Amino acid sequence: MNRAEMLARQRKAKRLLSLLLFVAATLFSVWFIEFDIMEFLSGIPLFLNFLFVDFMPPNLDDLSKYLQPVLDTLAFGVVATVLSSVIALIIAFLMAHNTSPHPVVRVVLRSIISFIRNVPFLVWAAILVVLFGVGTMPGIFALILLGIGFLSRLYAESIEEIDKHAVEAVEATGATYLQKLKQAIIPQFMPGYISWTLFMFEITIRASAILGIVGAGGIGSQIKLTMDLFQYSSTATVVVIMILMILAVEYVTQRIRERLL
Amino acid sequence: MIVLFIPCAFYLNLSATQFAEGIARIPDIAKQFLQISLDDLPKLLTELLTSVIIAFLSVVISVIVALLLSFVIADTTAPNRHVAKVLRVIVVIIRTIPTTIWVLLAVASMGFGSMAGVLGLLFPTTSFLIKSFTAQIDEAGKDSVEAIRALGGTWWHVVCNGAIPTLYSTFLALIAFNFEMTVAETVILGMVGAGGIGVLLQEYISYYEFAPLLMGILVVFITLFLLEMMTNQIRKRLNSQAR
Repeated sequence: MNRAEMLARQRKAKRLLSLLLFVAATLFSVWFIEFDIMEFLSGIPLFLNFLFVDFMPPNLDDLSKYLQPVLDTLAFGVVATVLSSVIALIIAFLMAHNTSPHPVVRVVLRSIISFIRNVPFLVWAAILVVLFGVGTMPGIFALILLGIGFLSRLYAESIEEIDKHAVEAVEATGATYLQKLKQAIIPQFMPGYISWTLFMFEITIRASAILGIVGAGGIGSQIKLTMDLFQYSSTATVVVIMILMILAVEYVTQRIRERLL
Repeated sequence: MIVLFIPCAFYLNLSATQFAEGIARIPDIAKQFLQISLDDLPKLLTELLTSVIIAFLSVVISVIVALLLSFVIADTTAPNRHVAKVLRVIVVIIRTIPTTIWVLLAVASMGFGSMAGVLGLLFPTTSFLIKSFTAQIDEAGKDSVEAIRALGGTWWHVVCNGAIPTLYSTFLALIAFNFEMTVAETVILGMVGAGGIGVLLQEYISYYEFAPLLMGILVVFITLFLLEMMTNQIRKRLNSQAR
């Protein structure tokens, strides 16, 4: 009884302490970035006003002008998804516990992939713009890097989740490494592969929408352009087009997923 | 997909010479990258702290907003079906617009700075939290909600005594995950003018100062890596607690 009471009290103290820490952290944050709550609160109606007054009504005059960037963005997505899924597949097989040819290979690849993934995507894009100049090329490569970082980890995880018994059974027949991959691992890995790759396609569409901001092509460049020119009504049109595009892609991939799996 | 790939590749018309030129430039730029300098490290670290703080504040505010709204939206606890439906649609629309665009809009309306960052982040983080909170409420909170209803509890009883205690640890895990994502995003957001370390990175890139840029990238990488490990730990511990 006494012990239980003490435990309860300890718990209460712990909770109080974490609450105090949390409040202190919040106050420190507010102080550090000179966060003015009044200004912030008054900024919200301003922001909403900006959204609903300056952006409305969407300017529908030059709809045909935006067809090109939409197609660009879709083509970006397809090319980047296909290339990165091929590269990531190879890396994933070398990286997963149960298929890696050598532990050293695994560790090295894992750290490279984790580096690629943890450097923000827009930084990659900006560096690639410096390398290749403004245009579609840096955009594609940035998306491919994003895809490799994202997909190899997910592929490797789903390869590691594979049922061991089938692999062992094939191994027992004296199959070579490639035969083992083909007969035991790939069939089980297929559903994961398909659904992650489709998900990747959705992500590339979203990402290529923001790529334009650093000058790497796609529909994002239209957003940046119209905002820099203060043509907010055109920006609204582009944003609406983007939303529709993202929703459409999500719908289509959902249908494909349902049909295939 | 592969069938689509070929026309798309042709459509984009990638030029081989541009590619070759870019590749040829790699050694040169890599050399500039590798002149490691520690001069800018203090500056980078303060800006990094700003980034983390922007993420922290926007997560704090969005947790408050999301907690309030998700109980209005979730099927099991919704006080009014029509209001819930309208809010649901709004959340879907907000979620579809990428974070970067939100911040770009916030910067355009409030001017450069951390406040615009917090404001811009607020929309996507809140909608993410609302979506995951409502899913959890609908999934896990059903039994306790029904029990309290049966006893004649009011809406406040249902929320405060039924749903929140049962979902406490799941919510914390979701918030930790969301915080990790938001920090990763704030790093980027500086690049569109919302304060934090991204502003510095963008400057380095546009002035071709590669040595401090490498430093900045490493700082970002280490931070995100540590954060990922930390949230993994938190999640693991909460999981074992829940069981």
